[in-house]
Amino acid sequence: MKSFFRMTYPYILWIGLFIVAPMIMILLYALTKDGGNRTLIFQFTFDNFSRFFSDPTFMRVLWTSLRIAFLTTVFCILIGYPAALFIANLSERAQTMMVLLLTLPMWINMLLKTYAWRGILMNFDLESEVKVFIGMVYDFLPYMIIQIHTSIAKLDRNLTIAAYDLGANKWKTFLKVTLPLSVPGIISGITLVFLPAVSSFVIPKLLGGGDYVLIGNLIETFFITTGDWNFGSAISLIMALIIIASMWLTKKIDRNAQED
Amino acid sequence: MKKVWAMLLVISLLAVPMMALAADDVLNVYNWGEYIDKQVITNFEKEYKVRVNYDVYDSNETMYTKLMSGASYDVIIPSDYMIERLIREKKLQALDHSIIDNLDNLAEGVRGYQQYDPDNTYSVPYLWQTVGIVYDTTKIDPADMEAQGWNAFLNPDYKGHVYMYDSERDAFMVALKALGYSANTDKAEELNAAYNWLREMDKAVRPSYVTDEVIDAMAAGEKWMALVYSGDAAYILSENEDMGYCTPSQGTNVAVDAMVIPANASNPELANKFIKYILDYENSLMISEEVGYASANAQVLEELSGEGGDYEGNDAYVPRDGYELDEIYHDIPEDLRSQYSSMWIKVKLHE
Repeated sequence: MKSFFRMTYPYILWIGLFIVAPMIMILLYALTKDGGNRTLIFQFTFDNFSRFFSDPTFMRVLWTSLRIAFLTTVFCILIGYPAALFIANLSERAQTMMVLLLTLPMWINMLLKTYAWRGILMNFDLESEVKVFIGMVYDFLPYMIIQIHTSIAKLDRNLTIAAYDLGANKWKTFLKVTLPLSVPGIISGITLVFLPAVSSFVIPKLLGGGDYVLIGNLIETFFITTGDWNFGSAISLIMALIIIASMWLTKKIDRNAQED
Repeated sequence: MKKVWAMLLVISLLAVPMMALAADDVLNVYNWGEYIDKQVITNFEKEYKVRVNYDVYDSNETMYTKLMSGASYDVIIPSDYMIERLIREKKLQALDHSIIDNLDNLAEGVRGYQQYDPDNTYSVPYLWQTVGIVYDTTKIDPADMEAQGWNAFLNPDYKGHVYMYDSERDAFMVALKALGYSANTDKAEELNAAYNWLREMDKAVRPSYVTDEVIDAMAAGEKWMALVYSGDAAYILSENEDMGYCTPSQGTNVAVDAMVIPANASNPELANKFIKYILDYENSLMISEEVGYASANAQVLEELSGEGGDYEGNDAYVPRDGYELDEIYHDIPEDLRSQYSSMWIKVKLHE
């Protein structure tokens, strides 16, 4: 057992260097203002946070990001669930084939796919938000389908057979057996879709145009264009907190669902 | 164990070519994207028997961030205000004028805009440009355009037919100039007036906020007018003969991109040779011909805009120089930049 623990040292070092240390730096930047000439003079302040929350524009950007991420997730479930159910009912070989087909586009860089969408959508006179929404659903849908498919495929067939034996029709069997038991798949699908959607900045930038700004674009602007790392870090931290909160929430829902 | 040895072998094989090219044979160049004729680099490599590592960036700020994170380059080509900042922060080293002995090649026009480094102590201009308006002469009468200047961006007749470049500094420059202020102002009331001017613009013409896609879009005649850099305008004008270029009489920004050597450069001698090489007539000619931006080399500028030149009769190629209301950007402090960003986001979101 002891030697097993030792094998995790590289991983712990990795986490420390590339996840914990940067987070601490972001926290430091977010809670300070520039001490002039980038010297190590820390002037602690909450100004960066109050600047964000007191400005209706930033709050609106935050709201837009949450809204589009939510809509994307809901649509991915609505399209993804029937698709996953369909795939799970195919023969073993056909299932492998379908999953392969689903993952195929994921081998292509997201940037390239988004550029392709830009070319397609350029010919249509759509609202920026609709374009971004289409791009996001396209990019994130496979994650949802695969998660749901895995949880349905794992289900014990005898459970549905038992439900039929006890007189339940197809619809009732689905509602009472398949759906509740596939909730963990939906939950992990939500995590895999909602989190990248809420923090996405390439898709809105390429598909939405200059007047469609999500929170990821705000962070990019303040880091790259403005060079205001303190405010940029504060926004990043706010987003990190939103992500942690939504993960906690989905975990909680997941646990409740399993207890039922 | 065999695998480990094989691994070591692979690593050492990879390391051999790297060591063979010792430090003085390699030049690390960092330039804007699509801002050179690659053949010039190849020729330089052949002539000096060296290897050039060529990296690109898409904004001065990206370049600055990378430089601050410790990256080492021998030659970089930032814009005027960024050079001003780098000099102030002592991030550049003095050039060797005994190697760069062809400074006389510089055009008078570009020399007039070197306030950030008047004696070429740290920098040698590469290409330069103005900011102006490309417009469709079949839709907007040239006389009307010249009369309106920047105020064309407030004209509701053009609603839905306008591209605005998504760059906060340039957008604010347009507003400040239209109002008769300096593009480098730090007065709160002037900034606020500019902010309100931009909001009015957003309402009046509902522009599309774009970046480089504006070049192809205007060449295809998608909209009536657009804010563009003169070098891109020169390309658009050469592609579409209906297009005209206006440098507004209210004054504009003149930008100079110049070659500098960072303080931490590992090969300053070769860097100086490279700068001299670029400023030579033939190489300056190839570069300016390829990218369409005005050369800093006087002879090239004359030849390309003169009779039989690539840009003969192209109003956008040679930047207006010596005009009193035109100015270069100066470096502005971070809190002011942050204000610009916030205000520009509000303009774009129609608030």
